[in-house]
Amino acid sequence: MMLRTARWVAALAITPLFASVPPSSWVPARWNWSDPKTLDLLSGTPINCLLLESYSSEMAHRASERGIVTLAVLKPGADPAVPARAAIRAGIQGIVLEGDFPNGTAARVRDALADSHAVVVELTSRAHMPLGGPDPVIGTYQGVWPGIQVLDNGAAKAAPSGSPWIDTNSGFIRSVRAWGPAAVWLGYLPPPHTVVTGERYLAAISDAEMAGARWVVALDNDFSARLERGDPAAVKDWRGMTQVLQFFESHPEWRTLHSYGKLAVVQDPDDALLSGGILDMIAAKHTPVRAIPGQRLTSESLQGAKMAVDVDPNGLTPEQRQILKDFTRAGATVLTAPPGWKGQSALQPDQITLDKAELDRLNDIWHDVQTMIGHKNLGARLFNVSSMLSNVLSTEDGKQVVVELVNYSAYPIENVTVQVLGAFKHARLLTPEGIQKDLEVYTPDEGGSAVDIDRVTACASVRLD
Amino acid sequence: MTRREWIALISAAPLLKAAPNAPAAPVAIARCASYDEDVTARLATMFDQLGGLDRIVRGKTVTIKLNMTGSPGLRVDGRPPGITHYVHPKLVGATAHLMGQAGARRIRFVESAWASGAPLEDYLLDSGWNVRQLLAAAPGVEFENTNALGKGSKYARFTVPDGGYLFPAYDLNHAFEDTDVFVSMAKLKNHETCGVTLSLKNCFGNLPASIYGDDAGVDEPNENPTSGRVKTMHMGKRQPSKSAPSELDPSSSREPGYRVPHIVADLAKARPIDLEIIDGIESIAGGEGPWIKKIRRVQPGVLLAGLNPVCTDAVATAVMGYSPRAERGTAPFRTCDNTLLLAERHGVGTTDLSRIDVRGVPIAQALYRYEA
Repeated sequence: MMLRTARWVAALAITPLFASVPPSSWVPARWNWSDPKTLDLLSGTPINCLLLESYSSEMAHRASERGIVTLAVLKPGADPAVPARAAIRAGIQGIVLEGDFPNGTAARVRDALADSHAVVVELTSRAHMPLGGPDPVIGTYQGVWPGIQVLDNGAAKAAPSGSPWIDTNSGFIRSVRAWGPAAVWLGYLPPPHTVVTGERYLAAISDAEMAGARWVVALDNDFSARLERGDPAAVKDWRGMTQVLQFFESHPEWRTLHSYGKLAVVQDPDDALLSGGILDMIAAKHTPVRAIPGQRLTSESLQGAKMAVDVDPNGLTPEQRQILKDFTRAGATVLTAPPGWKGQSALQPDQITLDKAELDRLNDIWHDVQTMIGHKNLGARLFNVSSMLSNVLSTEDGKQVVVELVNYSAYPIENVTVQVLGAFKHARLLTPEGIQKDLEVYTPDEGGSAVDIDRVTACASVRLD
Repeated sequence: MTRREWIALISAAPLLKAAPNAPAAPVAIARCASYDEDVTARLATMFDQLGGLDRIVRGKTVTIKLNMTGSPGLRVDGRPPGITHYVHPKLVGATAHLMGQAGARRIRFVESAWASGAPLEDYLLDSGWNVRQLLAAAPGVEFENTNALGKGSKYARFTVPDGGYLFPAYDLNHAFEDTDVFVSMAKLKNHETCGVTLSLKNCFGNLPASIYGDDAGVDEPNENPTSGRVKTMHMGKRQPSKSAPSELDPSSSREPGYRVPHIVADLAKARPIDLEIIDGIESIAGGEGPWIKKIRRVQPGVLLAGLNPVCTDAVATAVMGYSPRAERGTAPFRTCDNTLLLAERHGVGTTDLSRIDVRGVPIAQALYRYEA
């Protein structure tokens, strides 16, 4: 056994780690199994990075043979440098520090592993994410489980917009991605003591991917057990999940596109890193929106925008306030939160959603935002999408626009209409099911370009040229 | 009790004395199990049974009030609203097509889009309807959101002849005046406040929220309404905009089960309905929309059409398994006044089934009990 282990480690030592796939392209999944045979489940899937809470050299070797990166997950407790070194010695190729470790821990672990060039990924609380730093991957273990909020009586919970409220991490992801190019991982787990259907897993994947992040695939215990024993329903759901992953991974260019929104929300991280805030409310109205961290507000960041919401005017420097003044002088509209609007209640360290008092407070500004937006087309307008969320992206020159749609309901949505600003000649519908179909582009009364989509199952994208 | 016995019973039960002079008109019933059937052919047959659509619409402007209650975002089990609580777009398209064939000059679909003054086309699109298909269904199709002023320059005032129950007159969108023929296209449903919602109750939605809504202007209409009409019209907690006629007796009952049926009866008198079409192919029972907890999906598989809203609703109520002359306290009017009887007392039409000529499928064969 010792000999075999040594041979594997030697083999790994000469393998150019991550040579072919940079960390920014890792497609992660938590893998609760230790049996290397379970790696067969990954055949033909884009998952190329496994997070292992327990590992063996054999598992690491077998995964590596398949081109799959393995990362050992370490939690706060004893000094992680020691188990990190042990993991690397066993053939594991990187470390995930999951949780909020004392300051400097990640740096010490990186130093300890410097010789191996192992990658260290931090999955921290949202509040502790190293925004704008040099790490190729930043992530959090916190997240809301995406889906339509359902009340005790089974009815959908209505949002301020009058539509069913959709729990989403997409506003948070937009805020994080506005800080820099790092790949963003969401490492939250399925809700405990809950029957999680296949559709909900698809929503979890799509919710992150739509906004340019990756959900670290994590299966609940029941699903894991059924999948391991080859239960047909579980296998079918698993295939559906990997199909959706493949769909997004087949289009890496989407991660490089810019928000097509003409509406900007200027926010500081305290608010921006919460779910259910102003960004999610605007997204629920399918108004394309770009997130601008207050610290990064420049005239360039507002290029092309027509409206802006300044959530925390007191947090801006005099120079930044001047940028917003110049923006309005150029004909744009700025909605500024009322004085003293912010900071009325302190956020808890582990808080990722707004509490009722904050929601009530937010409703004041939300009403003004709704009035300001009205029925204007600020990049795109979408119809029959109350159980969906969307992201509208474009190339820098604006010649290509991609509308990503995610369905959070358990039913396919039929007859979706998308109206986009700008004159486009061609539109193509792309779906995870493999549909690639040209759509008729027509001009609605209000101008711009419009397409009708017959049916959206889990998610779909429309590319307009 | 057999179906025939039941119909005989509800027809012969004059729980309230019928207005002897209230007019009667024929009502057609057709079986239609699904929206995948030839809905157009079914409708065409029914219109023929009523004497032909041509004589009603040729060369005329026709305004069709759709039933699209509640936000399009609120769904029953995520289903398209047309198979639950809205009229189905296929039925709407078929109606437009037949009216176009019959020579209608203009076909204007109207609805007071819930909590919105936006173009009705947006509301239809949000409901999953294909607006372009509807526009292509017939020449001269157009849309108007009657929740505010819309494309008009002023509101039209409709006085209730011989005085109203609650208001002497109502201010409505111009579309209700600028028309030769007014059609109520309703869904075969129960209603939490009114027991049933059919062609009469559908027209409660004629009221613009800009004037009668909870955020209506105090003096003048609010042309950007964002609320429903619960506080103002259901509960009488505030008055409509002062630009419109005020309530006859502000000290009258504030109970929704009293107010809404009386207002609906007023509206039927003030803005007469010329043609009624009721979609009972698929629907919901137990309430009018997904915000009512006890609703369930049903498939009665019937269509109804008629030339008098009280007669049509009386037949429809019987098809649902209720007596159209039931008093307050009796199903389906357990906690409300009977809108049909109030409209009958206004002289709009008779609820007396024995006086109504039912054509096509008999009530007994169309019977689908909403309270099994």
